[in-house]
Amino acid sequence: MTAVIQAALNGAMMGAMYGLTALGLTLIFGVMKVVNFAHGSLLMVGMFSAYWLIRLTGIHPYLALVIVPPVLFVFGYYLQDVVIKPVFKAEGQVREPLTVIIVTTGVWYVLDNLALMLFGAEYRTVRTAISNKSFALGEFIISIPKFSGFVVAVATAVGLALFMRKTKTGKALRATSLDREAANLMGINQYRIYNIAFGLGTAIAGIAGCVLIPFYYVYPSVGVVFDIRAFIIVVLGGLGSIPGALLGGLVIGLIESVFSQFMASTWTEAIIYAIFLIILFVKPSGFFGHKQDW
Amino acid sequence: MSRKQLDRILLAVVALAAFGLPLVVTSPTYLQILILLFFYAYLTTAWNLVGGFAGVLPLGHSVFVGIGAYTSSILTLQYGVSPWIGMLVGGAIAAVIGVIIGLPTFRMRGAYFCLCTIAFAEGIRVMVENIDTLGPLKINGPRGLLVPLLKDPTFWDYQFMSKLPYYYIILVLLILVLAFTWFVSRSKIGYYLAAGGEEPDAAAALGINVANYKLFAMALSCFLTALAGTFYAQLMLYFYPKGLMGLDLSFEIAFIALIGGRGTIAGPVIGALLLRPLNEFTRIYLSDMLPGLHLVIFGLILILVMIYLPKGLTAPLAALYDRLARKITGQGAAK
Repeated sequence: MTAVIQAALNGAMMGAMYGLTALGLTLIFGVMKVVNFAHGSLLMVGMFSAYWLIRLTGIHPYLALVIVPPVLFVFGYYLQDVVIKPVFKAEGQVREPLTVIIVTTGVWYVLDNLALMLFGAEYRTVRTAISNKSFALGEFIISIPKFSGFVVAVATAVGLALFMRKTKTGKALRATSLDREAANLMGINQYRIYNIAFGLGTAIAGIAGCVLIPFYYVYPSVGVVFDIRAFIIVVLGGLGSIPGALLGGLVIGLIESVFSQFMASTWTEAIIYAIFLIILFVKPSGFFGHKQDW
Repeated sequence: MSRKQLDRILLAVVALAAFGLPLVVTSPTYLQILILLFFYAYLTTAWNLVGGFAGVLPLGHSVFVGIGAYTSSILTLQYGVSPWIGMLVGGAIAAVIGVIIGLPTFRMRGAYFCLCTIAFAEGIRVMVENIDTLGPLKINGPRGLLVPLLKDPTFWDYQFMSKLPYYYIILVLLILVLAFTWFVSRSKIGYYLAAGGEEPDAAAALGINVANYKLFAMALSCFLTALAGTFYAQLMLYFYPKGLMGLDLSFEIAFIALIGGRGTIAGPVIGALLLRPLNEFTRIYLSDMLPGLHLVIFGLILILVMIYLPKGLTAPLAALYDRLARKITGQGAAK
């Protein structure tokens, strides 16, 4: 039983990382109605940015949190503006443009393989002062970097939710997500909102990269691990829902970690897919999704 | 000479050239490249029945290739059934599974459908990788299946000593699936599918049961895709889940269709004709220089084509042919 609870704790903390990745994905989907296949690659970019920043300057790993996300925001902002917007415009007012999905796949190929060209295929980690530190909670051991990641993930979700409710930009984002045309008529520039949404999603991938790097390997195709899980999580939580992403992340992390106590980890993967399909068939709108979305 | 005659002459020339090509290309290596080129063109044309005409984006078709390869190979290896029969059994199984997935998913919107097909295909792949035996069937998990090399194979064994028969089999399959697509696109079903893909609500208002036509297209597409799976198994004589049923193949099929022009008849062939050699040569010549460079180029091409030619390469090529044809036939303006 102790082992199962320990696994559940670890699963919840890893699940928060999945949830954080899914948060960016769900934000972009909610506003643009596009599944961003490049999201895992953007996480990889975030991880490599944090990796090099810490390696080259020797700063405290969590100091990267104030540098990497803003840089990635700018990167995402212009990525959407230059690459995705033209395709969007060509497809016009189609509710869920499909060609855009393929374009984001192209971005995924380019980013992953650029990283492969630049940094090679090897797995890299940063040894930091906190990498191996942990604290005891009763008889359970909690790793400090994982726990910090958990806290940052929750804080990011709360922060994003507040941003969406309280600020003018957040309200514009929500308006666009509800009704693109009506928002346009109210004087909201649809494509600028898309830039911001994509930038924010990318910045969140940057936050995830920063908190992952003290305890997770980075390599060019690391995004794939998080991508598939993030897809499943956003459907589980409801595409476009912020609390859904975090809760979905926790659920998937828990399932993965607890089930792997009893069976081979490859079967755990199969179970996750099976759960995904069951949810899609039974309740496609997920925990917190809107019915009209599917 | 009328336009129709010109079209026919050109089509005949292309077909003759395709049948005569092995006279010029005798090297097994190049013949193999041509075979794979037709193989991809065939797969994409089969995908096009759903992905092109029905206006959805399935990204898990590799699983049907896998079903075809596994069904015929298991039947041959364990029960001595000819792959020609196994091929049809595999096709039937794939069609049934296609309908089972299609039933709940075709009511979903684009992104959900897309994610669902990915999850389904990946789920099946992971399961195949984890199963060594399923009841009496030996599946062999991640190691895949080896089709034994026969000493004196007959036609019935679907195995040949030279590449030539494979070339003609896949060529005939490709021509058949193209003719079939042409027929579907001109029929009532084709128009219903297109209507359902573009304006689902309007089509439903006209009393068209779009979901049923989509299901029909899906079943056909899966059946045809599975046939290619058997062909692949007999050509390569070895396959394993990750290589055959992975997302790479599913995505590549969709890429070929989109770059060629989805929903057109020539699109998949043109896409395969351009992308496959590009893929092969950039991989051979560039991956030694810098690992990953060829995929960066591939990704960039994909992005650029989608930005500047969202309908694919077939549209501008068709316009070019139109201009040339008008000059040749001496007709000033289109009718």
